[in-house]
Amino acid sequence: MIRSARSKWEPLAVGLAAFALLGVIPGLNLFAPAASFLHISDFTINLYGKYLSYAVLAISVDLLWGYTGLLSLGQCLFFSLGGYALGMYLMLMIGRLGQYHSDLPDFMVFLGYPRLPAHWVPFRHFWFAAAAVVWVPALVALVFGFLAFRSRIRGVYFSILTQALTYAATLMFFRNDFTFGGNNGLTDFKFILGHDLRLASTQRGLYVATALLLFATYGLCRWLTTTKLGMVQRAIRDRENRVLFSGYATAHFKLFIFMVSAVIAALAGALYVPQVGIINPSEMAPDKSLEAVVWVAVGGRGTLVGPVVGAIFVNALKSWATRAYPDLWTIILGTLFILVVLFLPGGLVSLPARLQAAWRRRSPTPPETPAAPLATADPASTSNPPPSALSAPAGNPGSP
Amino acid sequence: MSAKLLLALTLLIGGFAAPARAAGPTDADVRRLLATTLGASGAEQQRLLGELGNSGSKFAHDVLTAWSRGEVYLYAPPQGAPVPVLLDEQQDAGGKSRALRIDTGAWLVDAAGRELHLDPAKLNSVDTDMRLRSAIQQALDSLTLADPDPDARHAAVVKLGNSQKAVYIPVLQARLALEPDRGVRQALEEAIAMIQLNASDPAVQAAAAGKLADLSSMGSVDALKALAAKTSAAPEVRLAADKAATALDRHIATVNFFGTIFRGMSLGSILLVVALGLAITFGLMGIINMAHGEMIAVGAYTSYVVQNLFGAGFGFAIVLPFSFAGKQLGFGLKLPGLNATGWVYQSYFLVAIPLSFLMAALTGMLVERTVIRYLYRRPLESLLATWGVSLILQQCFRMIFGANNVQVDSPTWLLGHFTIHDVSFGYNRVFVIALAIAIVVGTWLLLTKTPLGLLIRAVMQNRDMAACMGVRTERVNLLTFAFGSGLAGLAGAFLSQIGNVGPSLGQNYIVDCFMTVVVGGVGSIVGTVLAAFGIGTSDQVLQQLLGSPVLGKIIVLTAIILFLQWRPGGLFATRSRNLD
Repeated sequence: MIRSARSKWEPLAVGLAAFALLGVIPGLNLFAPAASFLHISDFTINLYGKYLSYAVLAISVDLLWGYTGLLSLGQCLFFSLGGYALGMYLMLMIGRLGQYHSDLPDFMVFLGYPRLPAHWVPFRHFWFAAAAVVWVPALVALVFGFLAFRSRIRGVYFSILTQALTYAATLMFFRNDFTFGGNNGLTDFKFILGHDLRLASTQRGLYVATALLLFATYGLCRWLTTTKLGMVQRAIRDRENRVLFSGYATAHFKLFIFMVSAVIAALAGALYVPQVGIINPSEMAPDKSLEAVVWVAVGGRGTLVGPVVGAIFVNALKSWATRAYPDLWTIILGTLFILVVLFLPGGLVSLPARLQAAWRRRSPTPPETPAAPLATADPASTSNPPPSALSAPAGNPGSP
Repeated sequence: MSAKLLLALTLLIGGFAAPARAAGPTDADVRRLLATTLGASGAEQQRLLGELGNSGSKFAHDVLTAWSRGEVYLYAPPQGAPVPVLLDEQQDAGGKSRALRIDTGAWLVDAAGRELHLDPAKLNSVDTDMRLRSAIQQALDSLTLADPDPDARHAAVVKLGNSQKAVYIPVLQARLALEPDRGVRQALEEAIAMIQLNASDPAVQAAAAGKLADLSSMGSVDALKALAAKTSAAPEVRLAADKAATALDRHIATVNFFGTIFRGMSLGSILLVVALGLAITFGLMGIINMAHGEMIAVGAYTSYVVQNLFGAGFGFAIVLPFSFAGKQLGFGLKLPGLNATGWVYQSYFLVAIPLSFLMAALTGMLVERTVIRYLYRRPLESLLATWGVSLILQQCFRMIFGANNVQVDSPTWLLGHFTIHDVSFGYNRVFVIALAIAIVVGTWLLLTKTPLGLLIRAVMQNRDMAACMGVRTERVNLLTFAFGSGLAGLAGAFLSQIGNVGPSLGQNYIVDCFMTVVVGGVGSIVGTVLAAFGIGTSDQVLQQLLGSPVLGKIIVLTAIILFLQWRPGGLFATRSRNLD
């Protein structure tokens, strides 16, 4: 019953969200007079754009974790790879407007590079950079995923290994001689496709592009999870061995999903970078990936709306808390994570259903069907699931 | 002017208190000699300076230093001969200051016995010229060579040797005849040979090169290489220098190699203690404790607090950004210190070690009771919740101890080092390795030979079955988790002796630790030991080989990922028929 209620309301909610994000917000920014309380400032729209790219990243995490049971602690690596790929293009578009008025990007002048390294040269072309946003992360995911899934690394070990991979990559990008700007990363961007990045209209365009990417990602994942592939995907999450013995090469399925999710994360990163104006190695640090996982947990994993809600909610909370309580905000966030994991395993999106169930239990007429057990165990992550996991269909709210 | 003069005075006063050295002239003799030297001239003055150089007196050193800077003045009293004086650095309102008589070591007084205040601008300083200054410098050099502290003598010898000036040879040779310390004697021989490398006679040069190689003088490699490359040198000299340099290079490589292995072992043993704790919480209990790193920090900060309690005390105050009924909320703590000194203070670390274990174990218990006990069936989610714990703990450290690193002093008995074949072994690192071995053995005994260990293993193998047999699994879980966290705390206490202690201390180790456990084979203590030493040592060796800490780390991480292709279960995988 809960599931049917959700699938009934979800299209409506998504439609409303599309109207608000693509119509109302840019409209208020453009047309509402600056003095009006309805007006949305350029700063705010930039901030929303950032949140939306985080939301796309969160969907990519959820595609892996919520739907396939692979908890990757390296999604921010792909996010940053996408960001770096586009950042390289943006860097070359600065031209001679940099601090040193040289053809080379500033950091290369500063670090004493004689000429542009060969692998930077093709990034003068936007389409090459855009293609790199897709194929570089996909290739990394292919190589790493092949090695990991081939030797049947799963569960916790997969998480730890992805974390190690991310850590190694972060250390690599921190090096000055890795030709990606070292510690400072790439920054000080000026133009994208000939548009000045400092103009409000460019930023608005990027915001709209991010919102479109979000809905496209949502649509893609919604479709993907209803196909046969999506069913195998969820079966792998619930009982990988049974799928394996049924004749499915689970490693191939997992590899495919891993690559798709890497590309989604990279696209989010590519749209994130021109909006915040900087990309540096701290963006790919293992902490960031963990944070993205937490957004999904807070929003509700195993759903497609949950990650979006979680990413926007946690980041809005973070923006507010860092300003209001700069000393305490990590404590606030840490407490939130603990509370959500302990008491709200279904995340924020499960809250209405839980309240409904609680209300029904209190109401005088007994419900026709017993409410689903609330503290459902995670069927994907444990080697010997408790009996309750078997009788908990509400734990898989994303299933059709 | 002169902090140096003040130093001279304090040293002088110290000189009175110190028992007179058995050998060499007394303070009074030196003072008389100094006064005579200052008044003398020509060859006589040179001879007296030479005598002063052999006196070994600190006071003579200070006066000669002042002299070469023109800070020794001549005071002409109304009657009698002029008196050489040093001026006190404290000046009164008129720019005048008290004067110290060099000949007696007392303040200068007038006929009535009152202290005289003199103006440096109205006094004549004792003149020096070029030749005199170089003689003074030479006397100063010999004085440093006669310093009672062997380390100071050693440093002085090395400095003279590196100057490669032939003038020092007689001074050094004179000292070689007197020197009681073996290490300094070797340094003297090295220094003489170093200077002889510049001699005009090719035979002497070649012999010196050979001698340096025999002495395994690591400091002379650059000089030897420069000589080997010098086209103006005689061919046999260049050959000898080249041979000596090659031999020394080989020696240095060996020394560095063993030094690196040793450092790697000590790093590995810290990693081992941390990873052992993780092997218990993660390997045996299946909990991914992302806050394990913060348990290390708890241990390290406990050492810091204990150190302060032995010293001046410890306190903190936190102001929260909330107010209630008009009052700002906040809390603080003030603990008085023992103000201990000497060996009592130095023994703080012995108290800190068990307390670090205890504090981390208590923190672990708190975390287990409040968070982890709900998550035994959900290991992936324990990762998220404990990450939240880690964020909270880190911020607490920042609020209590500040965002910067805190200073933990090593006790003096851990500071020294001993040397075997030029490889130096720091006591602190030896201590850490020894304790790590003790901890591993203790853990192994606890797990295999005690009733508690039996219960722990039973619960970890099959929690439900153990519960059916009447084991109180909740309590076993609690104790196991506390033990694992306590081990991390111990590692923190060790780390405080070797590295920096800051709020994000744990973050630097957490990835390495998880790697260690995974490589070793989850749940295997032997595997954890091997993996910890393997990863610690290869990290250090690669750092040394590649000259970059980061690149070494990247290679180790990549190697681990590839290693798991070959053995997905780690070095010692638990055999099981279970597919998962």
